[in-house]
Order: sequence, then C-alpha cells, then structure tokens
Amino acid sequence: MTKPSIPLGLVFSRSGPYAMMGREMEKSALMAVDEVNQSEEFDFNFTPHLRDPAGVVPAYHTACDDLIRERGVEHIVGCYTSASRKMVIPIVERTERLLWHPARYEGFESSDNVIYVGAAPNHTVVPLVRHMLEHVTGDVFCAGSNYVWTWETNRVLREIVTNAGGRILAERLLELGETAVDHIVREIIDRKPPAVFNTLVGESSYAFMRALHEASVRAGLSIPMLSCSLCEPELKIIGPTASVGCVTSSAYFESIASAENRAFVARWKARHGTDSHVSVDSQSTYVCVMLLARAIRRAGSADVASVRRAAANHRYDSPQGPVWVDPDNNHCFLTPRVARSVPGCQFKIFWEAEAPEQPDPYLSNLDLAAIGAKLDKRTDAVGKRAPHLRVVK
Amino acid sequence: MTKSSPFSVRGRHAHLIMRDEREISIVRRQLNRLGMSVTDPERPVGPTSAVDVIVLDADSVSIECDTTSVLKANVPVIALIGTETPSRLKWLLDLRPASFLIKPLRSAGLYTALVVAFDCAQRRSEEAAHIEKLEDRIRSRRVVFAAVLRLMRGHALSEEDAFNLIRQTAMRHRTTIEQLSAEIIALGGMPNRGSRTA
Repeated sequence: MTKPSIPLGLVFSRSGPYAMMGREMEKSALMAVDEVNQSEEFDFNFTPHLRDPAGVVPAYHTACDDLIRERGVEHIVGCYTSASRKMVIPIVERTERLLWHPARYEGFESSDNVIYVGAAPNHTVVPLVRHMLEHVTGDVFCAGSNYVWTWETNRVLREIVTNAGGRILAERLLELGETAVDHIVREIIDRKPPAVFNTLVGESSYAFMRALHEASVRAGLSIPMLSCSLCEPELKIIGPTASVGCVTSSAYFESIASAENRAFVARWKARHGTDSHVSVDSQSTYVCVMLLARAIRRAGSADVASVRRAAANHRYDSPQGPVWVDPDNNHCFLTPRVARSVPGCQFKIFWEAEAPEQPDPYLSNLDLAAIGAKLDKRTDAVGKRAPHLRVVK
Repeated sequence: MTKSSPFSVRGRHAHLIMRDEREISIVRRQLNRLGMSVTDPERPVGPTSAVDVIVLDADSVSIECDTTSVLKANVPVIALIGTETPSRLKWLLDLRPASFLIKPLRSAGLYTALVVAFDCAQRRSEEAAHIEKLEDRIRSRRVVFAAVLRLMRGHALSEEDAFNLIRQTAMRHRTTIEQLSAEIIALGGMPNRGSRTA
C-alpha cells in the first residue's frame, strides 16, 4: 500500500550571494524527506516542492505564494536571512500556514505561524559573551557585517560587557559581501585589542580571518577571536591555518559525541561524500523536517492548528540533542555550546549547558547582574585594576 | 521613578482596557513573553502608580467611560485602532496616546509600541520637569528684579553690575539666583555666609 502524500515547500537560495548555505540546507532537507519517506515509522510521504529565490528578497514572497496557491502546501521549510523571513511572514500569517525556520537569528520576533528551530540570542550570543568575560577579556574590538544581525548582536554584547565593567574598543562594519578588509586588520594589529568579536558573514568573514591571521603571524601576535556563526564548511573555505583557534558558540557542532549525531554524520557523509561537512544550519534544517514529520504523525493530520499543538513540548532526540518547541513563543529548547576551531575543519567543544535551555527571543530573562558579577569577582581576586583588566586564562 | 531604559520592559506592569477576548489573549501572551505582568481587564483599576502602561482598545471604550481619570494620569497609553474615523481619532487625541497599533493585532509590533510608549513617557516627564523649572524662574523674576534694585540703590551699582554680583555670589554659594534674590530681599542686603573670601 502506498503512503498518502503531503506536499512540503522547501525554499532555499541555491544561487545568489549565500548560495553555499542554501545548497547545504536544501541537501539536508531532502535527506530528511528521504528518511521520512523510507521509514515505516511514518504513515505518509513528503512530496518536496523546491523553490530557489536566489537570495532576492521579494522572490521569497513569490515562491511561497506559488507554493501555497498552486501546490496546496501547508508547511514550508526554508529562509536563511531575517530579511527573507520577514518577507514570508505576512503571507503565512494571512493564509494560516507554518514556516519552519532553521537558521539562528537575532530574536525580537514571535509569529504564531513560524516555528523557530534555529537558536535564539540567549542560545548563542549570551553564552559566548559570558565565556569571553570569564576567561578572555572585558575589552573587545568588534568587526561585523553592516546589517541587522550584527547590529543586534553587538547591542547585546555592548550591554553585557559595559555592565560588567568592560569596554567596546571599536565597532567596525563592512557592507555585506565586502572583502576589502585591510584597513580593519591594520587597525587591529596597531591597537592589539585583547580580543576580536567577529560578526562578519560569508566572504567578508573568510577574507577577514585569512588577512588577520597572516598579519598576526607577521607581527608575532596572537589575538583571540570570537564568533557566534562560524561553522565547519566555512572552516574548510577559510583554510587550514587561518580557520584555527576561533572560539565559537552554537547549538550544533559536527563533533558532538552522541550516538544520534555520530549516526547522523555517518549518513550525511555516505550521501554527500566523506570530505563534506555538516553545518549548524543544515543540521537544523534536518531537525525542522523531522520535528514537522513527528508532529504530523502525532496529530494524525497535516492541518496547521493540529500540527502546532502536536509539536508543542514534543521532545525529539535529534543529532544536536533533545529539542522541543516551546509553545509560549514557538522557538525551540536547544543546548548551547561553546567550542574552539581546531585543525581538520572541526570544533572542539569545551562547554555545553547541562540541559536544553528555554528560548528567550526577547532576552527578557537576561540577568545582566549575574553575568557582570562574575567578572567583578575575578576583578577582586586579582586586585582592583578595573576597568582595563585583562584576565588571561 | 528611577530612570530606566525604555528597551527593558521586563517586570513592568500593563493594564488592559480591552473587550475582545482574542485580542486580549494576543496582547497578554506577548506581554508575558516580554516578562511583563498584566492586570485583568475585568478588574477595576487600582492606584495608577502601580501601572506602567495602559493598552487601550480605542474602538470598544465608550467616550463617557469612567476610565478617563486613569487615562488622565501620567501613565503612557498604547491605543489599539480599528476605526480610523476622525470622530474616534479626535477622542483618542485627547488621551494623548504615546503610541498605537493598528488592528488586527499580531505578535509583531507590540514591543515597538511599548518601547515608544516608555520613551515617550520618560521624555514627557523630563519635559514637564523642565517646564516647571522655567515657570518657577518666570514666577521669581519679580523677586530677582527687586533684589537687583535693592543692590543698585544700596551700593550705587549699574543694573548690569548688580545682576552680575548676584549671579556670581549665587554661584559661589552654590545656590540659585532666585534663591539668593529672595534672601537679599529678606535680609535687606547681600547675606554674609563667610564664603566670599573663598
């Protein structure tokens, strides 16, 4: 007996400025679709309908409109940038559909028609800044891409750091895609900040990391770098030496040692080649499809209201660990981790939360005093040298 | 009230003046996400000092409603607007809404409305304090003028020199020109605080 088919919209930019990420995420979605379709645990098949908006923001609206009207799609997995998501939200809200959103983002949003599977800011920025304050420094030089994610990430960084008695030494922004990074690298080498906080994305980040590495080696400097977006496929692009040593926070790293993740990575490599790498966003895309499939199975229907109810608090032991949707805000409980990039395009995880953390998209539970207090305590231990105190691990 | 950032809304208290159950649940849910507490719309309003913001459905409140006393207090109002008729908007303008949202409501938008409302309330109270200070000055202009006259007569000074003397003495005594002028009139001359040698 053939299983009934449920149409599934997949909206990823396989071409355009962030095509690399789009292709990785689409590959992962299709892998999850195949696993659902081949599994006896699910009494339905997904029929994927692929759309490529090519990174053009209005094209996301056209793609979703077409999927909903012409293909009768109730559920869409996709989008990568906040601009594309905000383009899609009005149409899924108006037509009461669900967008399953894999990418981490800057927060301050909670649509009833989006399931936010990527990390909220309390999962990424906050643990990274906490680590920086406790083990690296309170004084930091920021380099980022000139768009909403950097602005908001730096805003959170500034709030936590200044509250703890640290300083933002500089905030340098580059237009998206800009690879002329020499002036920032020169400034960093001249000023020798205790740490660099990198929120550059894509080619800008790769060029920056290569150039800073080269200049640092020449100057005999070793300046710690922090990022909350770097992932394994990017390490490969950046290169074997320049990609090493970046302290990175994420809810997923390929090196997570659980049985679920090892099996997942093995399946991924069998399908896409042994030299390929899973990224946080592609793993999250896989989790989107699986959360949706399990919610449909639990609800006994693909109907949006039933699926939303069934997905709430329904735990899934995913490659990144237990994940479930918080019905209060449609974001997911995830386990934050902090790691250091090492040779071989991998991350060595050195901290992870004891349990999945409740998503806090508006950072309304952010306790600045608790994070600042820790720096103060260390300050006391070393002697009052604040505010220009550098704690070396 | 301590000066707090309009962006941090956690722990603040909202009072809802709304009728529609669906809209109440959207607003309540979003406020809870933001870590704010909410007064039940059914309950009568207590002392307004405990309320940080009022969310008011401009369509469902009758113009003669007894909430007007609450709305006249300095609590910022976020208006929820469905009917954009000038008659309704005129009624609304009298309440000086600090920000507004257009219906139908969605989760997006409320945070912005809150931030704008809190910022607006803070600016209004700073402006009110500033205006009060200016009005005090205007009121005491007569006193300053009388003190200038007194010094002009007593010490044979020009008007400009007499005023400069008051201004410089007030600065040295770390008091205001108005306060010093009142003392000059009360004492019949420049008060001697022993700090003029400083």
